[in-house]
Amino acid sequence: MADKQLACMTCQPKGLCGGRGLLTLKEGAWANNPLAIQVLGICSALAVTNRLENSLVMGGALIFVCVGSNLLVSLLRKRTPHRIRMIAEVAIIATFVILFDQFLRAFYWDMSKQLGPYVGLIITNCIVMGRAEAFALQNPPVLSIVDGVANGLGYAVILAIIGFFRELLGTGEIFEYKVLSGQWYTPNQLMILAPGAFFALGILIGIFNAVKGPEPGEKK
Amino acid sequence: MKGNVYTLCYTGVLGTVCALLLTAVAKITEPYKEANAQAERNHNILNVLQVPYPSKASSQQLVKIFEDNVRLEQLGKLKIYRYIPPKDSDSSETLAVGFEGPGLWGPVKGFLALGKDMKTIVGITFYEQEETPGLGGEIVSSWFREQFVGKSIVDEAGNPGIIISNSEGSAPNKVDAISGATMTCNKVQAMLNEAIKSIVEEK
Repeated sequence: MADKQLACMTCQPKGLCGGRGLLTLKEGAWANNPLAIQVLGICSALAVTNRLENSLVMGGALIFVCVGSNLLVSLLRKRTPHRIRMIAEVAIIATFVILFDQFLRAFYWDMSKQLGPYVGLIITNCIVMGRAEAFALQNPPVLSIVDGVANGLGYAVILAIIGFFRELLGTGEIFEYKVLSGQWYTPNQLMILAPGAFFALGILIGIFNAVKGPEPGEKK
Repeated sequence: MKGNVYTLCYTGVLGTVCALLLTAVAKITEPYKEANAQAERNHNILNVLQVPYPSKASSQQLVKIFEDNVRLEQLGKLKIYRYIPPKDSDSSETLAVGFEGPGLWGPVKGFLALGKDMKTIVGITFYEQEETPGLGGEIVSSWFREQFVGKSIVDEAGNPGIIISNSEGSAPNKVDAISGATMTCNKVQAMLNEAIKSIVEEK
């Protein structure tokens, strides 16, 4: 990776970091989507998506943590001793997660109760740690922020889609407003329960892969 | 490879900075979190006392409504939350007593609300429980809790106690138990009876 390292001071006219910014964004949010392609961090994706609002807050939390930890890991990347880099990463990630959790507890109590332990469990979310380890350790801060946004967004959008359909089909509501009238639509409780999450995520991953097509070099 | 001393210093500085930051944030948000916890408790008491309040009330509003309407009284050893409705409202005076005891998996805590006669149950709520979801956890469901409304805390002969059982027949102090949750029901019955005993004693 060392030869690919780009200093952001020398941004080319092509765009952020000589076009690498846009590439990173596309890679994280689409081509290498952490949820739909890499299938990481699905525990929380299954658990909190029974309401659209929960999904959005959870997505926001992941963007915040991913950006924060990527930035800090990248800033410290030359000072961090290689042997303890993972412990350092976890400490940084945990700090951001607890910050967000404290914020929810103080100002968004109802949401904090609904998300329960899942906010705290972002610490163990493979996406965050994976980006810190695979990207932020080798790349300059600005590019790492872009990567954090991209991956956080990739996760948040998928969560929002699943949350939207689960709430709509499971309760006939969106943001707790009745959308599908009770007269002709019977809410499908299955979508609110755990199996609904598996179905929704499975179908979504299937669609994502079908649209994106096979990996280069992958046999059909 | 950097030396051990450097690694130790790095760890120390990183750890300290993170800890300081989190301590500061925890301190700053503490009053808000405390208000939320108190609002949660007040919310439960308001509900069980059937004090009317707007459904989208904020934590601060709930604390205010609670302070305006509910009085904490000491009756012997018993702590009582009493709601005296304003003269022009059609709701009646109620009072609530806390109860707690061991459940099947963990502590169960709640409030029992009685009418002015200190005999008729007007509501019950559980604000802390870890019973099996779907079985013992059903104690928080509305069908189970609504059964208590209108029941008496004494039987026909005037003996204090409530019965949670699926046996035949009905009594003014009997509610249906939850199938598959006999242990939880027995434990809830025991802790309720303990509270009822002290209410009757102090009355």
